[in-house]
Amino acid sequence: MSSSSALPALSLHGIDKSFGAVRALEGIDLEVHRGEVVALVGDNAAGKSTLAKVIAGVLTPDAGIIESDGVPVTIPSPAAAHALGIATVFQDLALCDNLDVVSNLYLGRELHRGPRLDEAAMEENARRILRDLTSRIPSVRTLVSDLSGGQRQSVAIARTLLGDPRIVVLDEPTASLSVSQTAEVLTHIERLRDLGHAVILISHNMTDVRAVADRIEVLRHGRNNGSFSGPGTSYEEIIAAITGAMTTPRRSVRLG
Amino acid sequence: MKRYGGLTQVELAEATGLSTATVSTIVKELTQAGVVDTRPTSRSGRRALKVTLARQLGLVAGIQFGHRHLKVALGDFGRTIVAEQQMPLPVDHRVDTGLDRAALLVMDLLERVGASTDELLTVGMALPAPVDISTGMISVRGIMRGWDDLHVGQVMSKRLARPVVVDNDANLAALAEAELGAARAVRDSVFVRVSYGTGAGVVINGNVHRGYAGTAGEIGHVQVDPAGPICRCGNRGCLETVVGSDALLALLRSSHGDLTLRDVISRALAGDPGCSRVVADAGDRIGIAVATLASAMNPQVIVVGGELAETGEILAGPLRDAVRRHLVPNTIAPVEVVLSELGPQAEVMGALALALQSTDVASDVRLAPGTPGPVGLASAQDPGGAGRSGAPG
Repeated sequence: MSSSSALPALSLHGIDKSFGAVRALEGIDLEVHRGEVVALVGDNAAGKSTLAKVIAGVLTPDAGIIESDGVPVTIPSPAAAHALGIATVFQDLALCDNLDVVSNLYLGRELHRGPRLDEAAMEENARRILRDLTSRIPSVRTLVSDLSGGQRQSVAIARTLLGDPRIVVLDEPTASLSVSQTAEVLTHIERLRDLGHAVILISHNMTDVRAVADRIEVLRHGRNNGSFSGPGTSYEEIIAAITGAMTTPRRSVRLG
Repeated sequence: MKRYGGLTQVELAEATGLSTATVSTIVKELTQAGVVDTRPTSRSGRRALKVTLARQLGLVAGIQFGHRHLKVALGDFGRTIVAEQQMPLPVDHRVDTGLDRAALLVMDLLERVGASTDELLTVGMALPAPVDISTGMISVRGIMRGWDDLHVGQVMSKRLARPVVVDNDANLAALAEAELGAARAVRDSVFVRVSYGTGAGVVINGNVHRGYAGTAGEIGHVQVDPAGPICRCGNRGCLETVVGSDALLALLRSSHGDLTLRDVISRALAGDPGCSRVVADAGDRIGIAVATLASAMNPQVIVVGGELAETGEILAGPLRDAVRRHLVPNTIAPVEVVLSELGPQAEVMGALALALQSTDVASDVRLAPGTPGPVGLASAQDPGGAGRSGAPG
């Protein structure tokens, strides 16, 4: 749980990505350390989700270097991202409503015991992970369709934790949630940080971002437009950087 | 049931691993014994029976605003917390967003335990600043940025349509520890709250002593360094400028980088010498200020709480030593310095306790038809004596 450990868990340098004539990302730099929550903020079409997809292996960048624990890597596919210990929760969560919590957590990677599924072990693990997240799901055999928005979000986060990832990317996890569900998700994010994961949080909500982020990276028109220390920055400075009212020199505000 | 608030019988069966028939029988027995309530509801379109713990008298809500988190709890007259939710908050969180979220959380929690809004009687609030309990306003400017000019109690009371009583968090934690926690056996105690800021709550003869406008026990703003930096409150060299979270984190910045207070606590517990040292030295400085307060009022017990108290004896040890060193030795009953028993729950339990205290009066009035909303507020204008004052009017 350090923001000062030597090598970043993941670092991106000079990432470019174009879709035809649209330059979605231009020379993006991003670093995240273990035990650190980095928030990625910006207007619509600032490139936040594109960057998340690059990290998740959904999109391949046109140029740039990605380093994992200081080692240069490529992330050509989601499976490669998984192998690097990068887990991503996208906005739509991708849960199966007709399955229960355990089946959703282990979908596609069920535990086996001989020829049969090892239901007991899966249930046990599911309970433990949800408890680590201080989640409030009464039974791991509840159907996902019966869960609230916040509970679904916590199942989606729990699923990413099964592979014991180093880096968790959350794309708009609090959009369209009620206040108590938002409270639950933000508490999960704090827990992830305390458990030593590196977290990249993409969000529009400045209150949520400032509540949990150690560092806030602003994107504007696909470029870095400021890097702020989470606790030491006011709403106004961040909003100014998002809207372009103020251009901050790169990495100027990074402390320590 | 306590953990989840309310559950349907089917969920209860899943959570306990018992068969639905067994659960149904147990629920029936408990309902007859008056321990639980049931009401019909629907779950995924099917009819179901929602089971909640019984509460004949209604609920009270406790809201605690910290520097970096918000905690909301619902409690009943049995002093049990029936539901609670915590939420991280930004540094210098905005008052409008904060109060809005707190109000919505109260409503969400009521829904979670299957209670209607009518069952909510009174709301108690804890703020990390000295509060004038009669107006529900913060009585020292600058401590919570942006909160100064607001009648916090009135705004909340308007939003929830219930009486709201507001008090300082250390005072409320002191109340909770005196009623239910580490100081329950004694009449005179002090609660020292060591968190992002530092404060103390004073209990004299079983009642919280708030002073005329709520600044009693504000040891965080006692001067410890005449040449120190200017404090948020406007004075110079206050204890908080030396042991507040900003000061502690600044001490660690060159060696440990940017940390949060939670990092400092977890690392101190994990044995990091630098973090332990910073916490221990803070305990020592605070102990000196507490000794001064203790020599003025001679408490039997000093309870140490707040986030930093999660480090246990790392904080409490040096604090205890400093108190003993600077306090006149009392041979008959030397002061005891102990860790909080209620831990991180102390403040919100105090808020619930204050809400209950204020409701006692309001419920007498409720016998008369047409309950005027602000009665609880009016009764709370008699600080510390709400229970004895009888119904106003």
